[in-house]
This record gives sequence, structure tokens and C-alpha cells, in this order.
Amino acid sequence: MSRLMASIRSTWEHDPRKDPNELVYVLLGIGALVFPLAVQVATRGSGSFLISQAADAGVYVLLAIGLNVVVGFAGLLDLGYAAFFAIGAYTYAFVASDHTEFTPIHQAIHIPFWIALLVGMFAAAGAGAVLGAPTLRLRGDYLAIVTLGFGEIVPRLFRNLGDWTSGVNGISALDTPTLPVWLNGPWSGDSLQLVQNFKIIDPLAYYVIMVILVAICIVLVSNLRRSRLGRAWMAVREDEVAAAAMGVNTVGVKLLAFSIGAAFSGFAGTFYGAKLSLVSPENFGFTVSITILIMVVLGGMGNIPGVIVGSLLIYYVIFNVLPGLPNMAADFANSIGAPGLNTPSGEYPGLSGEVQRLKFLIFGLILVLTMLLRPQGLIPSRQRAEELQKGVHEDTVIEDLNAETT
Amino acid sequence: MQRRWYTAGSIIAGLAMLATACTGGTGGGGGGGTTSGEIIIARNQPTSGGDASDGLPAQNGIQFAVESKGTIKGFKLTFKAWDDTVNGTHDPQKGAQNIQEMIADAKILGMVGPNNSNVARAQIPIANRANFAMISAANTNECLTQTFDYCEKDTGSTPAKLRPNGTNNYFRIAAADTFQGPAAADFAVDTLKATKVAVWSDNETFGKGVADKFTAELVKKGGTVVARQDFDTKVTNDWKPFLTDAKNKGAQAVYAGATSGTKICIPRAQMKGILDVPYMVPDGGVNTQCIKDAADNAANMYGTVAAADANQNPDAKATIDAFTKRFPKKEDVGSYTFPAMDCANILIDAIGRAIDANGGKMPTREQVVKAVSETKAFKGTTGTYTFDKNGDPTSPTMAIFQTKGTDWAFVKQFGVGG
Amino acid sequence: MEGAKLAPSRFGGEVVGQLRQARTAFVAAPIGRILSVLVLLMIVYVLFVLLTRIFDRGGGYFLQIMIFGVANGAIYALVALGYTMVYGIIELINFAHGDLFTLGGFISLFLLPIVGADESKAGTAAVILPLIVVFLATMAICGAINVTIERVAYRPLRHAPRVAPLITAIGMSFILEGLMFLWKGPFNLHYPNLLPAASFAIAEATIHLRDIFVIVIAVILMIVLSIFVSRSTLGKAMRATAQDQDATELMGIDINRTIAATFFIGAVLAGAGGTIFGLYYNTVVFDLGFSAGLFAFTAAVFGGIGNIQGAALGGLLIGIIIAFSDGYFESAWTQVVIFGILILVLVFRPTGLLGMRVPEK
Repeated sequence: MSRLMASIRSTWEHDPRKDPNELVYVLLGIGALVFPLAVQVATRGSGSFLISQAADAGVYVLLAIGLNVVVGFAGLLDLGYAAFFAIGAYTYAFVASDHTEFTPIHQAIHIPFWIALLVGMFAAAGAGAVLGAPTLRLRGDYLAIVTLGFGEIVPRLFRNLGDWTSGVNGISALDTPTLPVWLNGPWSGDSLQLVQNFKIIDPLAYYVIMVILVAICIVLVSNLRRSRLGRAWMAVREDEVAAAAMGVNTVGVKLLAFSIGAAFSGFAGTFYGAKLSLVSPENFGFTVSITILIMVVLGGMGNIPGVIVGSLLIYYVIFNVLPGLPNMAADFANSIGAPGLNTPSGEYPGLSGEVQRLKFLIFGLILVLTMLLRPQGLIPSRQRAEELQKGVHEDTVIEDLNAETT
Repeated sequence: MQRRWYTAGSIIAGLAMLATACTGGTGGGGGGGTTSGEIIIARNQPTSGGDASDGLPAQNGIQFAVESKGTIKGFKLTFKAWDDTVNGTHDPQKGAQNIQEMIADAKILGMVGPNNSNVARAQIPIANRANFAMISAANTNECLTQTFDYCEKDTGSTPAKLRPNGTNNYFRIAAADTFQGPAAADFAVDTLKATKVAVWSDNETFGKGVADKFTAELVKKGGTVVARQDFDTKVTNDWKPFLTDAKNKGAQAVYAGATSGTKICIPRAQMKGILDVPYMVPDGGVNTQCIKDAADNAANMYGTVAAADANQNPDAKATIDAFTKRFPKKEDVGSYTFPAMDCANILIDAIGRAIDANGGKMPTREQVVKAVSETKAFKGTTGTYTFDKNGDPTSPTMAIFQTKGTDWAFVKQFGVGG
Repeated sequence: MEGAKLAPSRFGGEVVGQLRQARTAFVAAPIGRILSVLVLLMIVYVLFVLLTRIFDRGGGYFLQIMIFGVANGAIYALVALGYTMVYGIIELINFAHGDLFTLGGFISLFLLPIVGADESKAGTAAVILPLIVVFLATMAICGAINVTIERVAYRPLRHAPRVAPLITAIGMSFILEGLMFLWKGPFNLHYPNLLPAASFAIAEATIHLRDIFVIVIAVILMIVLSIFVSRSTLGKAMRATAQDQDATELMGIDINRTIAATFFIGAVLAGAGGTIFGLYYNTVVFDLGFSAGLFAFTAAVFGGIGNIQGAALGGLLIGIIIAFSDGYFESAWTQVVIFGILILVLVFRPTGLLGMRVPEK
């Protein structure tokens, strides 16, 4: 990975006309295609859990892409993004399970996954609009605080409104995505036949769905960024007053950023609910919002490939590296011939226990060090990087200071 | 423009992959042909967040069982640990991911755990599709194994929905919450003579469930709940308003539906000077952490445990002594250390029988699940276990404890259900 | 709000103007009009229910809940002051601040046995001197740690994109929690109960000396801070820096020193808050600061971020709202209530209760 980063950086530095993003896209595309095969080869056919995990990672990629629209494009700090994720996931739980039969609706709703994706999207986008309409006139950090409050409220509503949401138990046994028809054959160990309502269970299928979703979202977002709206976002981000003076409807533009950003988390939430087949209010807390924000910032705010790389890296660190460290440490102690290190004694919980206690510390160090060494993120948008270099940002600071006198 | 072609290309390639993916085999493991090698017992407990005070002692029990067994029918036994904590709380998604990792490793023939019912709900279907045996010592939510009218409404799922295969792969030795809450309520009314009780819960699957069942039984026995609150224990430090309310309404006991990860006994310390009545906890509080949290107000607390007390079993004394030698610290032992050890031993025993059934070769996971379900009168440290068709123990036991000094002392135990 | 920017009014009507504009902007949208009516009805309903319940349960209970709320709120106020000062001066939401509060609890828990304060001496005069020593030492250590953090993690990023220091602050929060986790593990720790158990009754309410202790110490600290900021040279430098860094620097004031001093004072208060928390609730746990910090931050915003008296008032109000919500309503809804109020305050009065300048991005 470090070599990859180094090559990206050198391309960037030595050839200023070449856009490193294309390289990253190509690498990501190839990686996404090769990954399942490579995993199966590397694990001798038992890598389905890794593939399944990659699909879970895709949920975070979608979330990061969505938050990037809000934070990176429009420059609105959102500290409660997980709320929209929760709304997306719960929407799927409502429209694709028997659950609503036990709510005051008394009628189970089963919408196919593919349509539910759109339903989830609109639900999340609607929630974004409802929150945004009254609050988007607030400036800067006040908006961040409002979103923080919203992010705290939404999971608690899901938890407390037990008649509708099963409260703390969450909703489980959600529908599995199905394809209307599918061809079975010798490749799946069956005889050649058309099956109807083919249920998608295989992790690889989820992975593929996720890759397609991410690809669609990338296309959507890149087009948005280049559109009139995207330029308006940039203008609002850089200088709201100037943008307004140029005739940009700043509130409307921000509201769209907020809703569109939320829409992506609707996708993510629907997929999350369908794959896990369970939604529970504990999984959409402030830490999730913060994790997504970290992914966006660490990857490179405003730059889609950067955000994707950032989210994959952070996901890998949080869900693989950190939980795996204790076992790695124990294995390491055994391999260097010091198994005594692993034996707990007295206050000492054993090497793996000790390493387990280091989790928070290591994650914190990663965050602080990355920010200190690369405050613009791993693969920043070139525009922003140039702003930083040329000190354009300094000017904006002074601009803001003047504006403070209002 | 060019970039658009890249993405279009990748979408087409993706669709092609979908075609192959949906037709791929189910995969999944077990069933080698060797007669020696390594068999791994997996365990899944929360061991790094607030629940660690429950998870770690249980893990010690499993580790002890595996270590003292060492080998089984020519196979080396080892154990491998998974933690389902993300950012300090047990996380169903992490649990689901853990079990997929376990299933991918053909040497793992079954797992002991999890600790929390919502993690179990995410894990059971995945394990079920792979015929992977799970034995839990501490899951007490009744809807995991039994079908009640309210299961669908309260949890959105029934045992049948959690088992897409149609067969059962999930077992537990704990008595379900349908016994624990009522046992505490009976004890409150009959022994403590408390009919006006203040009840609080941590608003989690287990805590709220057990508090609700306590309430139902108390009302059935003619008692009343004078005050009821569901706290978000992550942000609550002050129980005094609730306790004052309880005092004003004449509470004769307080029942807490929570675990030590959710501050179960912190309110006990705050009761000092406000309300001097017995304090009752479910199994999540019967541990040293609770006594530490209650501090100088630890006396007069009562706790229920959904498993028998190993110390009451004279046959288990040697095991307990050996365990104490291996794990000497007081916090190494919890109310689920020995039940978890029994779960591990049941699994090992079943694997042994499955090896025999497979002619001395590495058994398949189906054979292990079958062997576990056929467990008959297994003598563990905490009782004798046979599973019914749901995976519940046929004769679960409830034990009641009381604080004496800085320890939990056994009061009584009795069979329930069956 | 754009109008406000184009026609700045520096004095007087600023707050009122802001308020009016926010309100018109809000009400202008039809969705907003419906929402505001609904919200208003809800508030009226909730207040009505609260009043009937207060009346039902009697004055003694009301007083009792009030005292719990004020004591709890005093602690939040101490923490909120640190948030508000740091935000006021460098516009950083210092997510690590809540963990410094916890660290204060941990450090004093470590120091207490060293200076010979244990539970056998609880409530006697023998604990007074050790307690004072522990208070001062904890405050100094916390201050020193926070100055170091500022130097290492925030100062290099002062001109970086705004979210960069925010992420380092989150990272520092993880690091501090990680250190405390490493130190004491994931368990609730018992904090020695040193305060006298004595109490007296006023109108059916029992008031413990410990309640009074918490309130008195917090008030003393806040008064000292208030005098310091308004009278001392350093305090003036802080206020100047908060208003205009560049101009302040031109006046020959050392900005770095001033900002470091702000972090020091914030952490001193957090350290004291942590110690008071431990003494009052007799328990600390490594991730306490996460939620406490969130509430304290809310308190700071509530009172008007950047405003010292506002933070104190906000902290008290948050404490009281929590106690009332727990005492008269359902605790499960407490956070919804708090953050709901937060959002309403920001929508209708973005500058908080006491008001301050408009923060910029």
C-alpha cells in the first residue's frame, strides 16, 4: 500500500498535468475485479468471509461518498451523518419484512430490494431536507452542532418508539434480495433450469451488488461535481457571500447538498439492512458518524477516489487490523519462542490482553499522526491542495475574519 | 469523458461477475479426511469494552476447558478468541463478521458464545446456513429458541426465521429470561416480602427484557411497580432523581435489569442515604465488579443466575480448585465462568462422539451439530445437561445469591421449567 | 443571514437582528411554518404536563430534584467552560476535552492514597488538606497535559483546513481514552468516598453536605475564572485573541502563549471537574468523558459558545433538564429532550441564550 501511495505521489509531483485520480480509479477498478478471485486463491477457496467483509466495507464507502458531498463539496460540517444511515436501514426494515404487521399498520410490506434501494434513498434524502430546511441558514459550526444533535436524537427515537420499531431489540429477519429469474446450471451444481425468485445469499453476490452500487454512485457524484450544482457548491464552500452575490441561491444549493448526501446513506442503509438482515438502534451512534467523517477527511476531502481509499483503509484498520492485533501479538510471541509472554499473571493480562487494551491508543495515534503529516488527506483534491500551497486558504481566513464583524 | 468509460466498463464487468457469483457454490467447511491434526474451538465474547467484566471470566472458563483437555481422539485441541466489541459496545455486525471468519476456517468445528442476545440474533442465521454449532452460556432471550406470540412483535424474528436451514444449530445451557425475571419477582414477594418495587433497566435487549418479565410476575403475584425507568447508561451518572422518586412512592426493593457493562450496581452506591431497601440484580450483576461498584453499600443485594452454582456441586470441587490455580485473580471468575466451561466441554464431548461417528476422522460440521443435539445427561460443573429440540436445556436451574461482605454467597437453587 | 453580512452592525441590535433574521428565514419556508407551529404546541404541552406533575409531586420533591440537577449541572458547567474558551479563541470543537475531565478523575484517584486520604478518614478534618493538595496537583497536571496536546497536535494545524484539527482532537480523545484504558482497564473504578455523609432536611427534601460541596467549589472556580478573564492582562489578551488574532498579534501580544494559556485554564477546570465528579459519584470509568463531553459541549452551545457566563448557565440548565427529565418524565427520553432543545435554541437563537459573536467557518 505504501508503494502505491508513493507512486501516486510521484506521478503527482513529477507530472503536474497528469491527474492521479484516474490512476486511482483504474487501480480501484482492477482491485475490485481481481479481489474475489485473489482472495479465493489465497485462502484456497474459503475466503468467502473476506469477500463478505469487503461488501460490508462497501457500505462505508457509500457512506463516505455521501458525506463527501456534504463536507467535501459544499463545505458543511455534518457530525450526525449516521442518522441518515439509520433512516435508510430502518426504512428497509419497514418496507421489506413482516415487521409492519406488528406495528399499528397491521400489514406486512414486502418491497423488492431493488426498489427498496430507491425508497431508502428518498427516505434519507427527505429526512435530510426536513432537517436542512430550518437549519441550513445557520453558519459553519452551528450547523455541525445541529447535525450532531440530530444524530443523537434519531437512534434514540428508533430505540424509544417501541410500538413502531421493536425498540431496543431492533428488527430482524429482513427480506433477502431476490432476482425475479435466474438460470441455474451445472456451474451451481444443479441441472439446467430457470428458477424464479432466486434468493441472493452468497457473499460474492453481495460483493458484486456493492461494487455496482459504488460504481453507480461514483458516476453520479463525479457528474454532480462537474455540473452547475457542483460549481455552486464549490462557490458556497469557498465564499458564501460572494456566491450569493453572484446569484447562487445558497440555501437551496446547501439543501440539495444535504439531501443528496443523505440519499447515498439511504443506499448504504438499505444494503446494510438487507445483508445483515437485522437493524438495531445501537449501531448508528455518534461513533459511526465520526468514523465516516474520519474516512472522508483522512482520504482527502472533496476528492472521490481519495475518499474511497480513505474509507477502505480506515475500515480495514478498525475491523481487521485492530481486532486482529491481539492474536497477532500472541502468535508473534510464540513464533519468537517466548510463549511465556502470553501467560497472564497478576496485573498483567498476557501479551494479547495487553495489546487488546492498546486498541484505542493505536487508533488515536493513527488519526493524529496522519493529520499532522498530511492535513489535506491521503489523496486530496488537486484544487484544494493547490489552494493550500498557494496560500489561497490564508486569504479565505482573513475574509472570514472580516465577516465576523456581522 | 474518458473516466465515464472506465466506470461503464467496470459496471459491465461487475454484471458479468454477478452472473458468476449467483451461481457459485455455497462453499463452507469441515469434513476433511484426516485422522489427526488440529481442531479449534472458537469463542465469541465482548472482551474489550464495558462488557469485558462478563466476557473475560467466561473466556477463562473456555480456555481452561480447552487447555485441560489438550487433545481429543488424536486431534490437538486449541481455542481461538473473537471479540465482538466495536468502539466499546458489543456489535451485531462485528458478531456476524466474526462468525463468517470462523466458518471460513475448516479447523473450527463450533463456537462457544456469544454473550449478548442481539449478537446471537445476527450470528445464528449465518451459522445455521453453514451447519455450524453454537453453544451459549449466557444468552437468555427466550425468543432465540422458543416461539411465543410476542416474539415476532418484540424482536421481529422467530426461531424458525433465524434458522433458514430448518434444522437447529444453536444450543444454550442458560435458563431463558422467562424464568429469570419471574424467579426474582417470586423471591422479592415470598422471601423479601417486598410488594412495592422500583424497577429500572439499561434499555438493552437483555436488561429491558428481564425487567419487563420481573414486572409481569410481580403484578401477577399482587405486587406493584412504584417507579419504572429505562436509562441510557452510557450517559447516565445520576440515579438519584429516580431513587428519590422510588423512596417517595414507598419502594420496598429495587430491581435492576442491566449488566455490569451498563453500570448495574452504581445506583446501589447512590442509594446510600436515600433508600435503604434490598437491591436485586439479574445474572449480569452477580460478579465482583458489581460489589466494587456498590462500594460501602454492597450489603443486602440479591442476584439471580440462570445456571447452577458450581460450588454447590461436590463433584466439581477438583475442577474449581484447578481453575483457581490457573486463574488466581478474583476478577478472573464470574457467574458465567463455569457455565461457559461446561459449554466448551459439551462441545468437545460432542466433537469426540462425532469423530467416532466418522470413523476416527475429522468430522463434518453437520456431524458435530448432530452430536451436540444428541448430548444426553452431560455432567458439567454446574449441572447435568440434555438439550431439547429447541436447543434449550431440558432442566435449567436458577440460583439465587446474596452479598456477604465483599462476596456473593449462595442462597438457594432450584430447577425451573422442564 | 446574507443581508447581515452585507450590512454589518457591530453593536447593540446585533443579537436582536440575528434573532429576527433567523426567525424570518425559518418561518419563510412553508415547511418551516408548519414545523414551528407543531414545535410550539409540543413545547406548550410538555410544559403543561411538567407543571401538573410538579404540582402533583409536591414542593419537597421539586426541591430535591432541583438540588441534584444543580450539583450535576455545576460539574457540566466546569467542563463546558473549557469547551467554550477553546472554541472562543481558536474555533475548535475540542473533542478531547471530555477525556481530560475523565483524566482529572483518574489522576486524583491515583493521588489520593499517596497523600494519605482514604475512606477511613471520610468526612473528617483530616481529609481537607490532602484534598486541597490533590485538587491543586490534578489541576496542574491536567493543565500541563493539555498544553502539551495543544503544542503537539493542534498548533501545527492552525492554518490547515478546518476539519484537520477537529480530526486530531478526535484522535487525541482516542489516545487519552486509550491511555486510561491501558492504565486501569475497561471497568468502573471505585472512587473513595471522602465527603461527609451529613445531611439536613428542608421541606421534605434531604440536602447532603456533598451536594453543597460540589456547588460551592464549582461556583468558586467559576468566579475566579471570571475575574481572571475580565481583569488580568492574560485574560484581556485572550479576549483580544478571540476577537481578532491578526490585530492582536500586531499589538505585540504573543498569540501562541495566549492560546496555550487558554488550553491550560480549560484543562485546569476539567481536572477539577473530574475530581469533583469522582468525589460526588464515587465512580469513574475510562470512557466517561465521551458522553460527559458531549453534554458539556451542548451546554456550552446552549449558553452561547465563546461566552463564559453562558457556559456556566448552560451547564446548570443541562444538569437541571436532565434531573427533571429523569425525575418527572422518562429517562429514556432525556437525551432526545436535551438535543431537541439544543436544535431549537440554535434555530431560533443561534447565538445561544446569552449570545456571543457569530462563529465563522
